[in-house]
Amino acid sequence: MRRQFMSVLLLVLTGLAAQLHAQLPARTVSGIITQAETNTPVEGATISAGRNQTVSRKDGSFQIEVAGNTHTLTITHSSFTLQEVKLSSASSYNVTLQSASKQLDDVIVTGYSTQNKRFIAGSIASISADDIKNIPAAGFNQLLQGKAAGVQVTANSGVPGGGVTFRVRGNNSINASADPLYIIDGVIVSNTDLIRTSLGNQQQSNPLADINPADIQSIQILKDANATAIYGSQGANGVVIVTTKRGRQNSAGKVSLHVSQGWSDAPKKFKLVTGPENGLLVNESRINTAIDQGIDPSTITLPYNPDTLQTYDRISGLFRTARTQNYELGLQGGSERSTYYASFSYLKQEGIVRPSNFERFATRLNYDNQINRILKAGTSVNISRTYRNVSVNDNSPTGVINSAIFPRSFLPIYNANGTYARYGSFDNHIALIENLDNNAVGWRTIGNVFAEIALLKELKFRTSYSLDYNSMYENNYANTLISAGIASNGSATSNETKNTVFTADQVLTYIKNIGRRHSVNALIGNSINTVLFQNTNATGTGFPSNSIKAISAAANRSGSSSRSLAKLVSFFAKGSYTFDNKYTFDGSIRADASSRFGVNKRWGYFPSGGFTWRLSQEDFIQRLDFFDDLKIRGSIGLSGTQNGIDAYAAPGLWSTGYNYLDQPGTAPAQLANPDLTWETTRQVDIGTEFTILNKRLTVTLDYYNKYTYDLLLNVPVPYRSGFTTYLQNFGAVRNKGWELSLHTNNISTADFSWTTDFNISWNTNRIEKLASDITLGASGRNTSILREGHPVNSFYLYKQLYVDPQTGNAVYEDLNKDGIITAADRQIVGNANPNYYGGLNNTLNYKNFELNFFFFFTQGNKILNMQNFFLVHGGTQANIGFLPIQLERWQRPGDITDIPRLTTYSGNPAENGGAANNYGGNVANLSSRYLEDASFIRLRNVSLSYQFPSQVINRLRLSSLRAYVQVTNLFTISKYSGLDPEVSSQSGNQNTAGYDWATVPQPRTIQVGLNVSF
Amino acid sequence: MKTNYFLLSLSVVAVFSSCKKFLTENPNNQIPSEVAIVDAGSARAAIIGAYDGVQSYYAGSYPTLGTITADQVVFNGTLSQYLQLDQNAIPADNVTTVAAYQGIYRTINSANSVIAYVPGLTDPSLPAAEKDKILGEAYFIRALGYFDLARGWGGVQLQLTPTANISGIKGVRRSTLEQTYDQVLNDLIEAERLLPEDASTRNRAQKSTARALRARLHLYRRQWRDAELYATQVIDNPKYQLVTPYKTFFTTPFQTRESVLELAYSNNDRNTFWNLWYPSSSGGQYTLKPSASFIAKVNNPAIGGTRSTLIAGTGNNVYGVLYNTVGVSTDPSYLIRIAELYLIRAEARAQQEFLNEARNDLNAVRSRAGVGNTTAVTKEQVLLAIEEENGIEFAFEAHRWFDLVRTRRAGEVLGLTNENYWLFPLPLSDVLSDPDLNGQNNPGY
Repeated sequence: MRRQFMSVLLLVLTGLAAQLHAQLPARTVSGIITQAETNTPVEGATISAGRNQTVSRKDGSFQIEVAGNTHTLTITHSSFTLQEVKLSSASSYNVTLQSASKQLDDVIVTGYSTQNKRFIAGSIASISADDIKNIPAAGFNQLLQGKAAGVQVTANSGVPGGGVTFRVRGNNSINASADPLYIIDGVIVSNTDLIRTSLGNQQQSNPLADINPADIQSIQILKDANATAIYGSQGANGVVIVTTKRGRQNSAGKVSLHVSQGWSDAPKKFKLVTGPENGLLVNESRINTAIDQGIDPSTITLPYNPDTLQTYDRISGLFRTARTQNYELGLQGGSERSTYYASFSYLKQEGIVRPSNFERFATRLNYDNQINRILKAGTSVNISRTYRNVSVNDNSPTGVINSAIFPRSFLPIYNANGTYARYGSFDNHIALIENLDNNAVGWRTIGNVFAEIALLKELKFRTSYSLDYNSMYENNYANTLISAGIASNGSATSNETKNTVFTADQVLTYIKNIGRRHSVNALIGNSINTVLFQNTNATGTGFPSNSIKAISAAANRSGSSSRSLAKLVSFFAKGSYTFDNKYTFDGSIRADASSRFGVNKRWGYFPSGGFTWRLSQEDFIQRLDFFDDLKIRGSIGLSGTQNGIDAYAAPGLWSTGYNYLDQPGTAPAQLANPDLTWETTRQVDIGTEFTILNKRLTVTLDYYNKYTYDLLLNVPVPYRSGFTTYLQNFGAVRNKGWELSLHTNNISTADFSWTTDFNISWNTNRIEKLASDITLGASGRNTSILREGHPVNSFYLYKQLYVDPQTGNAVYEDLNKDGIITAADRQIVGNANPNYYGGLNNTLNYKNFELNFFFFFTQGNKILNMQNFFLVHGGTQANIGFLPIQLERWQRPGDITDIPRLTTYSGNPAENGGAANNYGGNVANLSSRYLEDASFIRLRNVSLSYQFPSQVINRLRLSSLRAYVQVTNLFTISKYSGLDPEVSSQSGNQNTAGYDWATVPQPRTIQVGLNVSF
Repeated sequence: MKTNYFLLSLSVVAVFSSCKKFLTENPNNQIPSEVAIVDAGSARAAIIGAYDGVQSYYAGSYPTLGTITADQVVFNGTLSQYLQLDQNAIPADNVTTVAAYQGIYRTINSANSVIAYVPGLTDPSLPAAEKDKILGEAYFIRALGYFDLARGWGGVQLQLTPTANISGIKGVRRSTLEQTYDQVLNDLIEAERLLPEDASTRNRAQKSTARALRARLHLYRRQWRDAELYATQVIDNPKYQLVTPYKTFFTTPFQTRESVLELAYSNNDRNTFWNLWYPSSSGGQYTLKPSASFIAKVNNPAIGGTRSTLIAGTGNNVYGVLYNTVGVSTDPSYLIRIAELYLIRAEARAQQEFLNEARNDLNAVRSRAGVGNTTAVTKEQVLLAIEEENGIEFAFEAHRWFDLVRTRRAGEVLGLTNENYWLFPLPLSDVLSDPDLNGQNNPGY
């Protein structure tokens, strides 16, 4: 795979070098200036050619005299970035201007302030609205996949609105949260998943899918300590700052509409053996078992006559062509004093595996008003309603996918009398699809009001009050036609869950340029943050009829409730000093106190410092005439983590609810730790950013080393204490790596342009210190391990060496060389973390057409294929069928295969190369043969759009009209034998990444859409 | 302008000073440990919590360990931990053994808390008699916990005080099996002294309950005379009786005269153990399935008699129905039934060569099931007949495995000749995290 990237790189660089120019005579050139976003003409742009200057007319056209020794046209406009055009022999130039918010020397949003990107010492990735437009995923965090170096995004499944794993520079934590801090328009936004319905071990939903990605103007991802330390205790996992669209002063009102329709399917579906093959395998297993037991195989009765068995297809009923509909309306504008942005949107997405669905109705209002010369006030409000039809999968035998893939394929789907047939532990998948009734309705309000007072010209005071109110109302009804409701005669659960985050920030900012050479940017502030979580639950069983679902109608009813409140008080200060536009020194400190921690150690202090040197401002660099821009930067600092631990983690507690005989009971639940305090991450970052080849190539390169210590770790304690774990500050994890981003303008002519963005990240994770091994994962099979000296998300299995060609039995590595296979021979055989990952994005414009294709790749990560674990069982699972690779089993001496001989023999479970360990025994199928390479490269998105020409637009009285067609996940190149190497079905726990367990694959979607604005 | 600065600094100061108060938060459904047992109400709640602990390991893990490991019940599901138990290839991190071990010690910690703090209470609304009762129950529960540990894992570490902090539990090494059983005996003596007795209570410990467990303890320790003595004390109590037909005791409303100790469940306190026994067409998972040999025996009128009501279904879909409150989930946990006391006494008497008396006790259990008298003559035959009877009578309760290990017959009957596997492994996590275990598991693990 590495070679492929290199050739792509080479191609890009060759394209750049091909541009040369020669001297030309004096002449008049003309052209039209348009705006890139809307393709509309730009009036009033200044065009300079040497000493000559002119201004573009209303239709964007211009004419200018050019001297022979002038090689460039320079176009400037207050709303757009400066554009230079190389002159060739042509006499006409069409110039497109980029709106001012899209360039290297942008002012960008950082912690509590905005800064000029040129002088920032921190490592910050910026993503604009354009980079994430139109991809049919509900959550903006998912859209960032492959868009920024150092940011690893995994969609845990193809369920619409489903969970997303988002890591900035690796997993810092083991038991505390590894999720970044999300800030939208200054509001700390909770990423707490409120869905209580058990959906297996996967992360149930993506709480950020409540926000319409189309409302987003830009996203900054703060990665290093200098950038994140201002968020102190909450910044260690990186900070994602989202800025939504706002109106512009003195701009005419604009209405924009976006409509799209998409159709999705599964690029790859499950395959099972046929009925006769299934019968054959079971018979063979029975014969082999008899031989192993020393019984004459001719004396046993075989369970099946394979020839008479039929095959029943359950898979086709499982998948569907799923539809996605999206409608968006945006209003934007501003007067001299006030600006507004308002939007309304509706999204409906069907899951490719029935019956899951996602629906979102979202509305936003951003309003700012300059009340008088010194006072400005504004608000940002997002209100959304989501609806999910959810269904359980992974480890549940009554999940839809499990109920379709596990039953043996010769068993009919329906009983002779037409009722749903069920086998063993499994439900009937059609019964589930037709009857599952699990609804989750979310209401999300994210709101902020702020006022800004200009106390002096250089001194501003900003006060801001924010609320993130998220409620989830779930109503589940299992009727008597599905397994979950049969026994109880109908079973209903209702959950009302609320998570309220309140934040108040007071910030005083001082920005001043002293003379020509000194500039100072400083702030101090304080913040109060409270998180209140509440849940009330009711269940009922025994219903008079399947048409009545209200719990009040149930014969048996019960309920419960929970509540927690956590508070955080912070004080912070930050200063930045730039000398002569060359050197910038940054420093910040934050003090945080959290109610979650022990009374002795509540306060944490998080300092950071950084330095930037803009080398391109130095004469000796300018003399090289090579760099258009060059800076190097370095930073070091501390940040902390407290999220992910319980609100009352420090005191010794007895819990309630341990009832008996309908009397209330209490029992010890938690040991006291008055010294519990912050988990701290120390990070060093060294980076450079430069632009060369006449601004054709921009490179950002970073090295970082993060050391997280005093981990908030659930240290296992002897069970004889009556407890299982004790939350302590113990252990350390290191993440270090490289990040490289390239942006190239390969070709840029009047009619045709081609730009490429490429990024790649290498991260190495290592647990530096741990109390003892912690094993976990796969419903108690403990196939993942945390072990000192190894990365998190390591797999802990028996390593299968080969299948003995003579006996057909699997031979495992006998790690301790004691001649037998015991638990001591389990070992780490890989991990779920990639060696590297990244994205490659290409945009080609030809006249009014734009073609964009985007690849995402990841290399070196492993995945445990739990379908194989279960469905390649050699006969040990009495009610489960087989995957086709079971047919590749060893059959006779001389067979060379990885799949051992079928048997259910259980004698001598410790014998290496014995029959017992083929599928059972001590190994119990926890074999490395089910661990696969999950590296892949995926054409994540390819889109073709057409911007209608101005004649058409003008006739229709529109300001812009664009149509597009796009395909998501068109193809994936991977060695993985399952459906999709990206999924992570055990994502409910961050330490069990890399499992595919009856997980819905990423859909392949074709989508057509239309953008109109007027 | 100056006022602005003044207001700002004032508010900063105000925020600082009220920080400490602002940052102190208490949960609304948990109690700080320091005030967990301080008066009559909290003492009652604590002993209820200890019973809940017994419920938690008897509602699933412990009876599973006593059944699927032996020959009456086989694995029929998907979950590896049950396959491992069925194959007697149990890794140290087996979910079920770990859950039972954890659950028992959690219960012991509850009992230890009651034993440590209740004697010092001075609340006048806690009469001395009730205080004794609560303490007696705690001693009984601790005895039961250590007994259940000992017969599963061998001699264990004896924790006799509540855990206040982790460093405080250092230095406790494994006791021998005899020492562990001695501790059980001490607690049972204390329990019997403190506990009350009435004519009807079967869901909480009483004097008879302590005696019954003591009879079982003596049986396990091969102290035949004491086993007989204590079994007799319980059998002679008119509160208990072998009920007919057999299925009466596992039919609602439960709490029959059969039960010496039967943990009750309710609508708000459910026991979903049935889910592991029933097929998915009835809403269960069907992980635990009666073995073919057991089905043949129990359906044989000369062996099973009316105990054939323990199973239902036909053909390939036969399932156990001892736990049968499908959906409602209120099946009791059957800890000690009077039938067991008869069989304890039968065995103890047979071992003391009182063969006629032994046969009488055995026949009492058989005749209740509608099965004719035993044909066993010699001591060996009688003992074998008792073993068989135990296997049928308590097929789906936590008995068969422990009986075969206790009588050292697991090799012969189950083919499990490696005696190391007669004990369950200590949890892997404990071996790793407890320095007092010196990294040692039970031999063979």
